[in-house]
Amino acid sequence: MEQKIMIQFSQEQLDKVNQIIARYPEGKQKSALLPVLHLAQEVFGWLSTETMDYVATLLKIEPIEVYEVATFYTMYNLRPVGKYVFEVCQTGPCMIQGSDDIIAYIGEQLNIKPGETTEDGLFTLKTAECLGACGYAPMMQMGKFYKEHLTKEKVDAIIAACRNDASVNN
Amino acid sequence: MSSKKLLLENAHIEGIRYYDVYRKNGGYRSVEKALKMSPDEVVEEVKKSGLRGRGGAGFPAGMKWSFIAKPEGVPRHLVCNADESEPGTFKDRYLMEFIPHLLIEGLIVSSYALGSNVTYIYIRGEYAWIPDILEQAIEEAKANGFLGKNILNSGFDCEIYVQRGAGAYICGEETALIESLEGKRGNPRIKPPFPAVKGAWDRPTVVNNVETLAAVAPIINIGGEEYAKIGVGRSTGTKLISACGNINKPGVYEIDMTISVEEFIYSDEWCGGIKNGKRLKACIPGGSSVPILPANLLLKTAKGEPRMMNYESLADGGFATGTMMGSGGFIVLDEDQCVVKHTYTLARFYRHESCGQCSPCREGTGWMEKLLLRLDQGQGKMSDIDLLWDIQSKIEGNTICPLGDAAAWPVAAAIRHFRDEFEWHITNAAEAQTRNFGLAHYADPLPVSEPVAV
Repeated sequence: MEQKIMIQFSQEQLDKVNQIIARYPEGKQKSALLPVLHLAQEVFGWLSTETMDYVATLLKIEPIEVYEVATFYTMYNLRPVGKYVFEVCQTGPCMIQGSDDIIAYIGEQLNIKPGETTEDGLFTLKTAECLGACGYAPMMQMGKFYKEHLTKEKVDAIIAACRNDASVNN
Repeated sequence: MSSKKLLLENAHIEGIRYYDVYRKNGGYRSVEKALKMSPDEVVEEVKKSGLRGRGGAGFPAGMKWSFIAKPEGVPRHLVCNADESEPGTFKDRYLMEFIPHLLIEGLIVSSYALGSNVTYIYIRGEYAWIPDILEQAIEEAKANGFLGKNILNSGFDCEIYVQRGAGAYICGEETALIESLEGKRGNPRIKPPFPAVKGAWDRPTVVNNVETLAAVAPIINIGGEEYAKIGVGRSTGTKLISACGNINKPGVYEIDMTISVEEFIYSDEWCGGIKNGKRLKACIPGGSSVPILPANLLLKTAKGEPRMMNYESLADGGFATGTMMGSGGFIVLDEDQCVVKHTYTLARFYRHESCGQCSPCREGTGWMEKLLLRLDQGQGKMSDIDLLWDIQSKIEGNTICPLGDAAAWPVAAAIRHFRDEFEWHITNAAEAQTRNFGLAHYADPLPVSEPVAV
């Protein structure tokens, strides 16, 4: 099921890359690496070696400089993930509000363990360390946004909404 | 008793996120005022205010600014640290989401004071929706002449850019943040040289927390001396506290540092008491790195005085009987919570976030996590407690950056104050898997220690 995607930004995306580079002093285009990796992940879904090499070419740096960074930061996916990624916070303040139960419940509903992706490629479940939403626990990150004050009912609704979204957009 | 507000006073006005409403409510006055002063005069006001870094360290902001090197022809930079990642802390997020123009206003004034023509906001990557809010505010400020070239005809130019991190607590440490801004792994640098001399791209750089920089706007508006009159002693001005855990009203509160911890927890104006009518067992008042205190030492110092919500009172007694204001991440644990398990999750956090550069931290955080997990699961030995103590003591002070200390302190404090709860997990291992240790004696009044002649 893995499709070969052409690793190439559109002209609009390349303009965006140049805009980002222009924020930094001349000759310091490497500074654009984190934002450009975010953009690449948004466009290509995850960071394959091919993608990282492409980013290195764009920023005129060595591929190893990209690998070093991509492996350091937890938000970069070094392997494919599901269409919807649930990253459930499990640090102290969320733990005392029941995050362990939420993680277990999502796992049961989707029949996967943390770190795994469902067979249909729709969902990935991950545990996360403190996401800065301690007053609104338990919570998880889903894409760009947070889902807070989670309950089993809320999890059910989120999963149903994702399935619905996937069937509409496919 | 009501607390004075300088930052969040207008945060709930409808539409305050947008320039027009913000401006109508007195926004950007500090920029107009500051640009008529000299940059040194602005620095002087901030010094007079006594403002201390709100990220956790509490270092005087004006003094930090005065260290910036000014070599001829070398650009200087201000970098706003919005990498808020300390467990229990979510105050900067609140400020940026609800009243973004206050941060932009503070940044413009601070950039002028430091001579930064290009200023960066480094925000944690997970706050993925906030850069849009900040960039909109920046665009609006620019369209109204408060950013860009020749701001208000003063001759001062300033641009602000937002950069997202990508999931690394360590990037809240200022030199790691600078490395990350330069497109590298977030490995802290050895100091000296300090960023004020050699920071981003080897240029003089000042890194300050969101709340610190936002506070510069009211300081210029009311004057440093007036600001210093709010609060008590060296705890001047107002502080944002993000309260969470087993309380009725979790959220972000602005306090003026004259209220007691007891009022903060039990008053309806703030936390509204412990949830479900439970009793208070323990609290970590300044973000996960600061020492946990049992209820009795939290509410009263070892001298028997009420503990207050300010830098000095929270630290009263040192680490033996006190804690720290830290970032203001206030985590409350009720009588049903297990201190061993909670400490385990914090140890796991620090192991996950250690950058791996220094052996004591890289290895030590892993050992602490494993030992605490073993204890929590009822498979620990009595000697594990001493081993944990030994490991934490060998991390503290032996690493390039404070992450090592931040990982060691919570473990040390948990053992210091809750040793019998740890021991119970060993002596009553099977029982510990079915119930928690409970409140025990942790809220009992303590004998007041005699004053020691110095």
